[in-house]
Amino acid sequence: MILKLKLVMFPLIAIVAGVLAGCESVEAWERGTLAKPEMAIVSDSLEAALNDHIYFSKEASNGGHSATGGGCGCN
Amino acid sequence: MKSRSLLALTASALALPGIAPIARADTPPTNTNIAYRVSSYEEDKLPEEFLFAGSAERYDITIHQFQLVTPVGENYGLTLSTSVESMSGASPWYAVTPFDGEQGIVMSGATIHEKRRDYSVGLRRYLDNGSLGFNVGTSKENDYESWNGGFDIQGDFNNELTTLAGGVSFSSDDINPTDASLYNRVTDQSKRTSSAFISVSQVINQNSLFQSSVNITHHNGFLTDPYKLGDSRPESRTQVAWSNAYRRFISDLDGALHLDLRIYDDDFGINSLTFDLSWYQNVGNAFQVIPRLRYYSQSAADFFTPENDFSGLPLFNSSDYRLSAYGALSGALQVQASINDMTISFVLERYLSDDSYSFYDGGKSPAIVDFTRVSLGLGYSF
Repeated sequence: MILKLKLVMFPLIAIVAGVLAGCESVEAWERGTLAKPEMAIVSDSLEAALNDHIYFSKEASNGGHSATGGGCGCN
Repeated sequence: MKSRSLLALTASALALPGIAPIARADTPPTNTNIAYRVSSYEEDKLPEEFLFAGSAERYDITIHQFQLVTPVGENYGLTLSTSVESMSGASPWYAVTPFDGEQGIVMSGATIHEKRRDYSVGLRRYLDNGSLGFNVGTSKENDYESWNGGFDIQGDFNNELTTLAGGVSFSSDDINPTDASLYNRVTDQSKRTSSAFISVSQVINQNSLFQSSVNITHHNGFLTDPYKLGDSRPESRTQVAWSNAYRRFISDLDGALHLDLRIYDDDFGINSLTFDLSWYQNVGNAFQVIPRLRYYSQSAADFFTPENDFSGLPLFNSSDYRLSAYGALSGALQVQASINDMTISFVLERYLSDDSYSFYDGGKSPAIVDFTRVSLGLGYSF
């Protein structure tokens, strides 16, 4: 991995560790906000699927948040 | 077993990073949801100063997507998805450097007209503290057929504040380029893909959560683009992507912030960085406005050449713009309305690419695309 990505990766690792270390205990009755649709990692699955397909077809990168699905002749 | 109402309340909205577009939640669906979306995708013309021969017109694509998510019994969720794409337009065929030293793109002469259809079925079994997911799918075009399947597992820990997930998928693709004998193209080629991911999702506090995922994909077989003259690529490719997602609700503004960052690396020599920023603004009880910004930057593949080398000397070379060093900025606006059990959404996206947007050095191509995408969606829950 080239130097430029290493400069991003190591601070990101520190941020992730810091975020996880700062977690609070949230009881079941306090999770109403977390259950809102806009708080989902993927709020709109059709929009996410379309974006994944377009960027897979037009860019060299692929994947990241799941195992990749089927192929196509797009790329 | 916990009551469904308690399960719904304790659902932390941590989406399982399942294989798209399977339903991503840690509780079974309680209603049947049908969704349809039609999208128009149009690429800008190739700038005339870079057109050496052929048509400057590029791809226009219409995409229809359909999805059904429904409960099956008390513990299962079924997802059926299909999409149909109609494509027309021309694409870069090869690249030259005319005697004035500037790159010139030779575009494919004929406008192609093609259709692609894909279908997938997913079944998820929900357990007390997690779920298991299975899916199969297929994609068919005139010259390409793909079959895929996968499995994933999700487990909740730490009073359902932490979710661990992992999964694998496999794909088998067969490639039979059109007009093979006319253009001396290969026939009967194949490619196999296997992929795996692991992820951890963590509730940080009442208003925010975080997810980190690593995905590894390996391709083996015919990876060359048969429609690009002189294109020759290795028969193996391994890709690694690390994605991070942060969600935070700001109650004073009645909106949610989405931050996503992906770092990517592969053995073609390509590295990339993707940064996504979205804001989900609720307007009253029925409307939502979602502006989005995306930044993408990639390096060039080791064997990318701005001009095709037809000498036969380099084992691998490609002038495919998608393997060049470039960056892209895109902005999108989504507006959504929920009326009773119906949802209507509209999305407008504009994507602009330029080699100066990338912080990587490397081979560049004038054929990188700009495009506009418009989508209209309908959803119904019953």
